[in-house]
Amino acid sequence: MTSSTSVPSSDVSSAPDVSRRALLPVSRLTALEADLQSVWRIKLCLLHTVVFLTALFFGITQWFSGANGAVILGVLGGLLLLMTLYIVFWPRWRYQAWGYDVHEDELVLEHGVITHVRSVVPLRRIQHLDVSQDLFEREFDLGRLVIHTAGTRSSDVVIPGLPLSTAEHIRDDVKQYILDDPLTEDAL
Amino acid sequence: MAASPSDSSPAGSSVHDPSASESTAAHASSNDHASDTATPLGAVREPQRLHPLTLFVRLLTSLPALALILLPTFTNDDAQVWLPLFFGAVYGLIALPAIVLQYLRFSYRITPQQIVIQSGVLKRQNRSIPIERVQNVEIERQLLARLLGLAKVRVETAGSASTEASIEYVSVQQAQKIRTAVRAFQRADEDAQQNSRDAAPSEARATASNAAASSSPRTLFSMSLRHVLLAGAFRFSLFYLALIFSVLQFVDPETLTNWLLLSQDRIDVIVDAMYQSPIITALGTVVVAALLGWLSGILLTLNRYYGFTLWLDGGKLRKRHGLFTVTEGTIPLAKVQVLIVQTTPLMRLFGWHTLEVQTMGLNTDQQGQRVVAPFAQWDTIMRLADHVRPMEMPDTFERVSPLTIRRHFLRRLGVLLAVLAPAAYFWPRDWWAPYDVALPWWSLLVIPALGVAAYLHYHYHRFAIHHDGLYVRRGVLRHYLWMIPINRYQVAYATDSLLQRRLNLKTLFVDTAGASAFAYPDIVDVEADAADDAVDTLYDQFHTLYRAMVSEAKHPASSTPPFDLRQAAATVPRALPLPNPTDSSRA
Repeated sequence: MTSSTSVPSSDVSSAPDVSRRALLPVSRLTALEADLQSVWRIKLCLLHTVVFLTALFFGITQWFSGANGAVILGVLGGLLLLMTLYIVFWPRWRYQAWGYDVHEDELVLEHGVITHVRSVVPLRRIQHLDVSQDLFEREFDLGRLVIHTAGTRSSDVVIPGLPLSTAEHIRDDVKQYILDDPLTEDAL
Repeated sequence: MAASPSDSSPAGSSVHDPSASESTAAHASSNDHASDTATPLGAVREPQRLHPLTLFVRLLTSLPALALILLPTFTNDDAQVWLPLFFGAVYGLIALPAIVLQYLRFSYRITPQQIVIQSGVLKRQNRSIPIERVQNVEIERQLLARLLGLAKVRVETAGSASTEASIEYVSVQQAQKIRTAVRAFQRADEDAQQNSRDAAPSEARATASNAAASSSPRTLFSMSLRHVLLAGAFRFSLFYLALIFSVLQFVDPETLTNWLLLSQDRIDVIVDAMYQSPIITALGTVVVAALLGWLSGILLTLNRYYGFTLWLDGGKLRKRHGLFTVTEGTIPLAKVQVLIVQTTPLMRLFGWHTLEVQTMGLNTDQQGQRVVAPFAQWDTIMRLADHVRPMEMPDTFERVSPLTIRRHFLRRLGVLLAVLAPAAYFWPRDWWAPYDVALPWWSLLVIPALGVAAYLHYHYHRFAIHHDGLYVRRGVLRHYLWMIPINRYQVAYATDSLLQRRLNLKTLFVDTAGASAFAYPDIVDVEADAADDAVDTLYDQFHTLYRAMVSEAKHPASSTPPFDLRQAAATVPRALPLPNPTDSSRA
């Protein structure tokens, strides 16, 4: 974290190394905890139950008012199938698309199933960090790291599904990095 | 009443001479002593009342409500005049004492640490704003206030988007005194902080800031009446529609109907004429609408930018403009994030541009963007930009991939069809259908225009990763040029959607603080490998710059001059040549 301290001042003139620091392919980034898929599935199940019950209620009222029972059953069955497929596959795809890495001076994130988003967050641009945990995440001992920057679109960057201890570890490391920063420049 | 630009604020600071007291503060490092000796500052340290004429202004502004209550009494001769009169009396009994009480219970004072404002009749409110959090002290003078020699002082802070506190009204001299006091305390605060750091760099910085502060304010840009009118002539506005509707609100509908019925003969003549020559009518409507839009554009611009003056005062840009409401504003140069040059097709034809800066934490009236020069030629814009933030325009810009034309066109077409299909489906048979084709289908004629727009999007979309920052040009009709210095980069993004992945394209984006929500400098549809390299280069610039700054801060070489951002930026490698779309560096 703090190895920037070891950079000698003569380095200013030397040619900077243009390595592919920022752009590791997702397979080489750190994956999230696999349990995160279970958390997502549980949340999706709850949401979809509510949606399905609403549809079921609507279907029953239609049936009582004389609509074709077969059609109603077909629609409800199709909905159930789609929801199940979504619950099975979507969290997996989403999980596979996620990757992060904490480097010496920056944080690299990649996520998104349909639209891939790869972002590079310089550590010195981080204003503050939170570690949060909801009810389901607590069961799996997972935490989410919420990173606040001054950027308009990236005012909060979230890394979900880290082991709680890892999330706290990253938070403390980044905090230390910011405290050790000898620059007093007001970035805003 | 209107003070001429020369006798007010810029001169005001030199009269009170805060820079002198500040330099003593820096060297004697006793700030309290310094602020005590500066006599004008003591004047606002004790709790202050508002100007007594405030009572008059508040009374006057509350009169429309009273008039509304009493309106039936004036118009009717009937017996039921007592109810409004009763309400009027109640209003007088409640509102008038409230105005007086509010005035009596409002006080403000400014200490070296904070601005304290006490207010509230029923619920006492005691608000203190730490001096170091104050971003901007703005003096606003509306027409009525100007006639009475009053001014409204608005205090803005970094944390909140809107005005933190407003002191209305005080005399103009008092307003300037408040601003001077806040600035002087802020400088003393900064100096104290610098003195607490280690000796060598702080000395250099203190002298530098003193030199900057003591240099007299310099006018950078001002607009003559002719210039403002010209600026207005390039601006269209639909303001007249709002004006017409708000005037109609005051007219009794019954009176209007009666008047229309009485003048039916005349109207019939007009209607007949319109039926006989629909083309002329349509043309006439367009011409009248354009004329009104043009005129109201001129009037609005005149009202807003009359007497526009921009000064450089130490490390701050200060501007003042306005006809009825004179607004004064401050833009601290250190807070400027991004420079934005805008132009419309008509303005571009004659070489006119607008310069704005994107700032953080100031008044977010315009999504964090503040106008530095509303209307100026390119050379002037570049000269001003150089004062705000020295940047060196790159000679060459890169284009994005031509495939963007296809993607842009498909996207717009998708939107058009999504709107069109339901409209065409639900279009009733007997509704307007020229040549037996329902009206919605006629909108398919727009498709060629979409193609042209897609091409123009490609044609004007350029970017350059220069040694001092990122430059992005974009816009189909309204053109934008963003200039983002390296030390303002926040987070870098590369994104690709489904269609973009098929075309092997990516979108690049460098986030900045205070960016607008609907016009931001993303670089759409760069060839994927080039986009990856660009993100690497951008981040590398950032990293190299800050590594240099960190090592400078850790090992301050006493012989070298104070760290210069511009110099450091020059050591950052020139933009890497982006790979040709044809040769792929990745297997």
